[in-house]
Parts: sequence; C-alpha cells; structure tokens
Amino acid sequence: MKGRFNVLYFNIGAVVVGLIISASMLLFMQINPLSVGGEAIRKIFTDHYTTGEIFVKATPLIFTSLAFAFTYKANLYNIGAQGQFYAGSIAAIALSLWLGDVLPTVLVILVVLAGSAAAGAAVGGLIGLAKAKFHANEFLVSMMSTYVVKALMDYLLRTGLQETKAEYLQTDAISKNAYLPNIVSGTRIHLGFVLAIVTAVLIWVLLYKTPLGFRIRAVGYNHNAAELGGIRTGRIFTVAFLIAGGLAGMAGLTEINGVQHMLLQDFNASIGSFGIGIAILANGNPIGCIFASILFGFLNVMGTTMGRLPGLSIPASIIDLIEGIVMICVIMSYFLRGYVQSSMEKKRMKKAGA
Amino acid sequence: MVNLLTRAVMMSTPLFLGALAEVFAERTGMMVCAIEGVFLIGAWGGFIGAYITGSLFVGLLIAMACGMAMAAVYGVITVYMKQHQVVTGTALNILAAGICAFFQRVLFGIPTSPLQITTLPKIAIPLLSKIPFLGPIFFNQNILTYLAYVLIPISIFVLFKTSLGLTLRSTGENPEAVDVAGINVNRVRFLAVLFAGAVSGLAGSFYTVGYLGMFTTSIIGGRGWIAFAICFLGNWNPKGVVLGTLAFGLADAIAIYIQAVSGSTIFPNELIIALPYILTILLTIFRKNFNVPAKLGVPYAKES
Repeated sequence: MKGRFNVLYFNIGAVVVGLIISASMLLFMQINPLSVGGEAIRKIFTDHYTTGEIFVKATPLIFTSLAFAFTYKANLYNIGAQGQFYAGSIAAIALSLWLGDVLPTVLVILVVLAGSAAAGAAVGGLIGLAKAKFHANEFLVSMMSTYVVKALMDYLLRTGLQETKAEYLQTDAISKNAYLPNIVSGTRIHLGFVLAIVTAVLIWVLLYKTPLGFRIRAVGYNHNAAELGGIRTGRIFTVAFLIAGGLAGMAGLTEINGVQHMLLQDFNASIGSFGIGIAILANGNPIGCIFASILFGFLNVMGTTMGRLPGLSIPASIIDLIEGIVMICVIMSYFLRGYVQSSMEKKRMKKAGA
Repeated sequence: MVNLLTRAVMMSTPLFLGALAEVFAERTGMMVCAIEGVFLIGAWGGFIGAYITGSLFVGLLIAMACGMAMAAVYGVITVYMKQHQVVTGTALNILAAGICAFFQRVLFGIPTSPLQITTLPKIAIPLLSKIPFLGPIFFNQNILTYLAYVLIPISIFVLFKTSLGLTLRSTGENPEAVDVAGINVNRVRFLAVLFAGAVSGLAGSFYTVGYLGMFTTSIIGGRGWIAFAICFLGNWNPKGVVLGTLAFGLADAIAIYIQAVSGSTIFPNELIIALPYILTILLTIFRKNFNVPAKLGVPYAKES
C-alpha cells in the first residue's frame, strides 16, 4: 500500500482525468472549457460567499459518506443513507419547531443533535437487526427503507408538520434561536462543518483504535473467521448499522438547523448517492471522506457557478455529469492500480527466480 | 374499476420488462445495479429517437441501444475489471442523470414549450378485447405490453428448458463448473448484462414513448429500483416476477386513483405509495426459501 502504489496517487490521477473528460463535454456546447472553467474558478475564489459554499455543501456529504464507509468496513452495504438522513431531518425539524423558542440555543442544538442521530440510528438499527436476525439482504432492505421514510416525510409535510399557511409542502421556518451558529462571517459556513470533521476523526479513532473497531473490521475481512474467533457477528452487523444510521441522521441537524431552516419536499435528494461515491473515492477511510467531500462540495459549487455564468446556459445538471464521470474514473483507477501492482509483482518474482 | 385495472396492467409493463432483464442477468451472478440509470437513459434515448426521426419504432431501437451502451460500461467495469457492482451501479446512475440532462440541453437548448411526441397507440386485439371485463384490461394496451405477454412463456422456456438457460443458471451457481465445461464465464456474464441493458432500456422508454410523450430527468423516480426489488421478490423466476409486477402496478394505480378521488385529505395516500416498499422489506426478512444465485455479486477470477 506504500510508495508507488499508494491509493492516493491513483485517486488524484483519476480525479484529474475525470475532470478533463468532463471539461471536454463542454465542447459539445461550443464552449471553450478552459476559459469557462477558469472564469468559474476565479468567481468561486474571489467571492467569499461562494468559497464558503464549498464547505456548506461538503458538510452533509461528510456524514452520508461516513454512513456508507462505516458499514463498508464491516463488508456491509448501507445504501439507505438518504432515508436515514430524512429520518434525522424529521426529528430535527420537529424538535426545533417544538423547543426552538423554549430552550437556550446550546440546549436546543444538543437536543436536536441527539434526536436526529437517534432517529437515523433507529432506521439504520432496524436494517442491521433484519440482517443479523433474519439474514435479510441489507442492500435491498436499506434501499427500500429510503422510500418508506420518504413517504412518511411526505405524509408529515402534508399533515402534522405542514406550514401554518398550508400552501406548500414544507414546514414553518424554525426560530433563529435554533440556528446552528455561523462560524465564518460573510458565508453560510456553520458549526455543523466543525461537527462533521470532529465526527469523522472520532469515527477513525473508533475504527482503528478501539476493540469495537477491530471487531467491525475483522467481520469485514472474513466474518466466518471472526465468528470462530469469538466475535458475535450478528451483534456487529446491528451495531455497525446503528452507528451508520446515526451518522446519516446527524446530517439532518446540519441541514435543517444550519442551512435550510425548514424541511421541504425532496430535501437534498441526492446526498445519499453522492455519499457512496465519496466513500469509494476515500477508499472507506473516514479522514479521506472529509477531503473527498470537500472535493465534491467544490464540484457542486463549480457546477452551479458555471450554470450562472451569463449567456452560456450551461445546465446545472452538469454537476451530475462531472461527478458521475469522476466516480467512474476512480473506480477504474482501482482496477488499474491492482493491475500495475500485480504485473510488477510478477516481474519481481521472475527476476528473483532467474 | 376497469380503468383502474387497465392502468395497473399498463404500469406493470415496464416493471416486468426491467425485472425480467434483471432475472436473466442475476441468474448468471450479475446484479445490474445500474438499472435505474439504464431505465433513465432508455427513456431519454427513446424520446430523442422518436422526436428527431419522427418514428416511434426508431425511438424504441435507440432506447435499446442506449440501454445496451450503459450496460456495456457496467459490464466492462464489473465483469472484466472485477470492481464492485453496487458501487459501479451507483456511479452509473448518477452519470446517467447527468448525461440525459446535459445532452437534452445540448440538443434542444431551453425550449419555450415542453417537447412532445405522440405515444405508442393502444392496439385493441380483435375478439379478445371484446371479452367482458378482462378484454379491455388485458387486450387494449400498447405494443410493449403485448411484448411483455409474449416474453413470459418464452423466458420461462429459455431459462428452464434449454441448454442456454442451463448455462445461464450454472454461471450464477457454480462458475468453476461452467469454466471446466469449456464455456467462458466472463463472456456469458457480459452478454447477459448487455441483454439486460437492452431490455431495461426498452422498459425505460415505456415511460416516454409509451406513456407520457415527454421527457423529464425525474421521469423514472426509483422505478428502476422497484424492478430490481421485484427480481428478488420473484425469487429469480419469471413467474414470481409476473406476480410481483402486478402487485406493484396495482399499488401504483390505486395510489393515483385515491389521489384523484379524495384530493388531498388526511387519508395517508403515502401509505399506499410506501406499501410496495414495506412489502419488499417484510418479504425479504421473512421469506425463508429464497433461491439466491450462489455467486450473485461475486466476480469470477480464474485461478492461474
């Protein structure tokens, strides 16, 4: 894993190749990608508000990518981070509307943090339990759970939680008292970004420095061997999903209390699937998830900024195109790395033999 | 009532085609996790094909070609590069959304009014469509629904009564044995994925060419995943898939019906929307006699 075969080099190479391919897509619109890209980057970095948006966009992605990466280490596939995030968002908005004016800010945030994590963990935990007790396919169950939670959210947006005006499918705005404090003036960067980084570091410690983390990784490498070694794999499945769900749920706090200040239909509809791509780009490493999320945050802002450049009518959907191409390049780079590594190995073996 | 059931059969059609495609691929050990993206690109390909050439038939062909192209990328990465299927699928689903939206803009700019195509005509089958009650439900549909009817017996026959079917099934259960028999495992899997891509692309085009006559990027909205789930619930068997698709199609039709009748009252219409998903989860949990292909999702590496 060291030296020339470091995953990082291959990943960076893949991202660069992906960006070049995506940029050349602009040629289809008879647009010079270099000048437009340069213009967009200049806009992003000269305008502090826009620079800040990178980190605002990255914040929930850190949580959802951790939610995938964490179970990935146990060789489980949690592709339901979107649903766990929605569960967290429902808890966050309900608690913020209820307690927003009653308690001091610190307490509101703490209660909402606990509530949104618990709601996400409940959804995640049920998936893990289904896997542990009934050997259900966690991939399918987690995917379907997203649609169930989304339906519940739509129902609540139409009934119990709908705004007082009862016009749109959205909630009332929460009280300013329940906002996550802004940490960089002139931008929308809020305390949630710090929370996300701290969480990622804690998850890294949990995975690599604690007995529980060891058990989770052991189950991931070979769950039969782990079982023989006295690890109760069923319990690990449940715990891993519980924690992953909690992580995705916490994005509910950062998005409701930090950015949107209300809940609406199809809220951040694609952070779940982006989370998977980010976790893969980071090779499941929690610290890597931070940087990969910031990269995706940047791509996201890049897409919207290019879309706003006057007179070009670049669709905002170019974000999906860029991110999809980058992800494919990264996946291919894992193959390339394995291929280069094994052929070098073979050469060395031959030399040693001769 | 008749309208409701007619609609249920209609909405079942693409789900059936998608799930059937998935059955063939998964029997060889390949989950086509890009199915949502294949549906979308099929819907888009069908739309632009029909819009530009003016021929619905060409539209359907282009839909199949687009689905196949996407499946080819998926197949190269998962079969030959042996990368993870779930992950590759997720990436391609995002990419498909990007491709459709971006090239829609490249081709048409921002149109002042939504682009429309005529949809596939309903064909009433003589005599059969005159059967009371059942006639209008089953025999006054468009050509894709009839194609689905024809595919039910053919797929059962091919999968369980021919040597091709045996090869497909063995590739998913015991690839080593297939390899020893002199059949190229990876080629079988790749071709199965290509086939699934073509059929799923056709399924996707149902939503544009067969039903709405226009394209939006949210047109599929998770229905590819439903087809994916139906394949599991149908126990990797075309017969099970038929039952599954009818159940989902009915739920879809009832949800639309209740919304139309009751407007937005407190009746939890969302419950009916969520019901198929809840059912999927419960069935996945409680059914014991699942017949999962043994090597589903496992790349085949020949020992050297």
